[in-house]
Amino acid sequence: MESSILESIGVEIIGVMSPVSICMFLVVLLVYSLSSSSSPSSAVSDIRTAANLVYAENPSDTAAQKLEGALLNALVFVILIAIVTFLLLLLYYYNCTSFLKHYTRFSAFFVLGSMGGSIFLSLIQRFSIPVDSVTCFILLFNFTVVGVLSVFGTGIPIIVRQSYMVCLGISVAAWLTKLPEWTTWVLLVALAVYDLVAVLAPGGPLKMLVELASSRNEELPALIYEARPTTVARAGSRGGTSLGLLVTGVTAGEPSSAPSSSSSSAIELQAVSRDNKDRNVNDNLNENRDYGGNEYSVVAMGGFGGERSQGGRNDEEERSPLVGNGGGEGGIVDEERHEGNESRGGDVEIAERGIKLGLGDFVFYSVLVGRAAMYDLMTVYACYLAIISGLGCTLILLSVCRQALPALPISITLGVLFYFLTRLLMEPFIVGTATNLMMF
Amino acid sequence: MTVAAGIGYALIALGPSLSIFVSVISKKPFLILTVLSSTLLWLMSLIALSGIWRGFLPLKTTSWWPYAILILSSIAFQEVLRLLFWKIYKRLEDTLDAFADRVAKPHLFLTDKMLIALAGGLGHGVAHAVFFCISVLTPAFGPATYFVDQCSKVPFFLLSALIALAFVTIHTFSMVIAFNGYAEGNKVDEYFVPIVHVVAGVLTLINLAPGGCTVGIPLLYIVAILTLFHCGRMVWRRLLTENRISLNHS
Repeated sequence: MESSILESIGVEIIGVMSPVSICMFLVVLLVYSLSSSSSPSSAVSDIRTAANLVYAENPSDTAAQKLEGALLNALVFVILIAIVTFLLLLLYYYNCTSFLKHYTRFSAFFVLGSMGGSIFLSLIQRFSIPVDSVTCFILLFNFTVVGVLSVFGTGIPIIVRQSYMVCLGISVAAWLTKLPEWTTWVLLVALAVYDLVAVLAPGGPLKMLVELASSRNEELPALIYEARPTTVARAGSRGGTSLGLLVTGVTAGEPSSAPSSSSSSAIELQAVSRDNKDRNVNDNLNENRDYGGNEYSVVAMGGFGGERSQGGRNDEEERSPLVGNGGGEGGIVDEERHEGNESRGGDVEIAERGIKLGLGDFVFYSVLVGRAAMYDLMTVYACYLAIISGLGCTLILLSVCRQALPALPISITLGVLFYFLTRLLMEPFIVGTATNLMMF
Repeated sequence: MTVAAGIGYALIALGPSLSIFVSVISKKPFLILTVLSSTLLWLMSLIALSGIWRGFLPLKTTSWWPYAILILSSIAFQEVLRLLFWKIYKRLEDTLDAFADRVAKPHLFLTDKMLIALAGGLGHGVAHAVFFCISVLTPAFGPATYFVDQCSKVPFFLLSALIALAFVTIHTFSMVIAFNGYAEGNKVDEYFVPIVHVVAGVLTLINLAPGGCTVGIPLLYIVAILTLFHCGRMVWRRLLTENRISLNHS
């Protein structure tokens, strides 16, 4: 029996969603297991970071005071982040790439060592694990060193790198969930807005960083989760482009098929594809003669506009086995195309090799869910669903726009919205009916 | 021990759906996406409903009719939502078929369509169990349990897990029935699903009466088994006819 298309669609999306889900799940577990141990007041009070420089929230303050303080905190934090980003941009502009790499390594070391270490300590205390300090230190050190090596190391399996990225995300997120409540919410919203501006606005630091990196054909020296498919590279990239194609199929069908049936979308899709097949015969020939030609074909295709080039690329993917690209060669093609095409993402990007998601997005998603976990399980589920669907929307938009997109705004907006809706509207409803053993 | 009890309750409610998820859904990414979006749809419907009912809650009366109105209106809302879901699915199916033409793969098989329906139903069912059962389960992990007046012999958490299991079954498989009914234009199946839903919802009203859960829950399980049985028979019939058609063609 032939494999149906159900298996090939959405591989990329799941490839990004599953680590995010794992990260959020572990943060929620951490928050649950740690917060139930200590008394609620002491857990919240004793951290002092850049996020609450100005104002330390006091439970006895009035709502207006809290809001004002939280706004100030968020403002200061966002300004700090913006300054740091501009600093990094400057450094990158003046080619201090190795400094940046070392700095990233150092920060990974620091995060894993201190924040991860403190999480280990509290876990050991919570579950009273009998371990002596020397063993613990050696274990921690090993863990940290492998983590640092895996950040930019070459010979390290991608799965190790991915899991360390998730670990980093968990450490920072678990740390940030200790922020006071109002500050957390305002901070999340502020960061979503900042992300939107920094990635999309002309002159936004992240946008400039991304463009700079793509003009130099380099990887950004930053902590980025790469959802490179761990099993078969080709299957994954097929999935991503197929998603893009699917989406453009839908949107292309949208204006015309609203009044009539959706069969017109199929026709349009067909038309596009035939058009592209004709074009791509040439491109493919070029490509197969020598790989130098590939760059040219990519540039030429770049001019077709988003959906066309996607369709075209998918055709190439389809055709390459027919015209005899071996597996290894196909890999090179992908590599080159990746560089030439480089819809580089500070936050998310779809490339031929996979989607990249900034680690900051992991962190702040998890912070939101962790903060929701301090209220109730119901809000956790609602926020999780909202964030994941926001991420899905972002990815779909990404496959339409094919430029770097901020991953925070949609998800955070939905997450915050669902949190408050759940907390204010749904909880009395659910508790009222469920405690009377009524369901529907 | 209390953690074990909490996990046990959660597994009673969600164990079967978990095994369906692991064995069938998780192998195909598209189905995972279907489950997620269907869960989200259900959550949004629940939020909308609770937004409507927020003004009247909490009900102070012990009479049953406000609850009856609540349940009936909610079920009506959700059945309308199911129709909407079907419309979305229909467009999705066309897109998928068009896409399959593009990449020179076969169209969706009958089993694929049923799998999508199953995933959609599973999303509804899981959302139901999660919000009605798991989210009130948090205290079960602590060192105590809770009894309600109407059913004082059995812990509340066990009761709600059992009810949730019945509803997960009903939701999951009635979606398969409904989608097939819509696709075939089969009136019996189209009406079977809302009726089952209403009957199941009304049966939970029995729990309001003192000692009613000893009657209500077995009846609920009969409804769930009936749904399961009907679904199985229908799928079997469709697969047989499909096989016969393909044999005749070849």
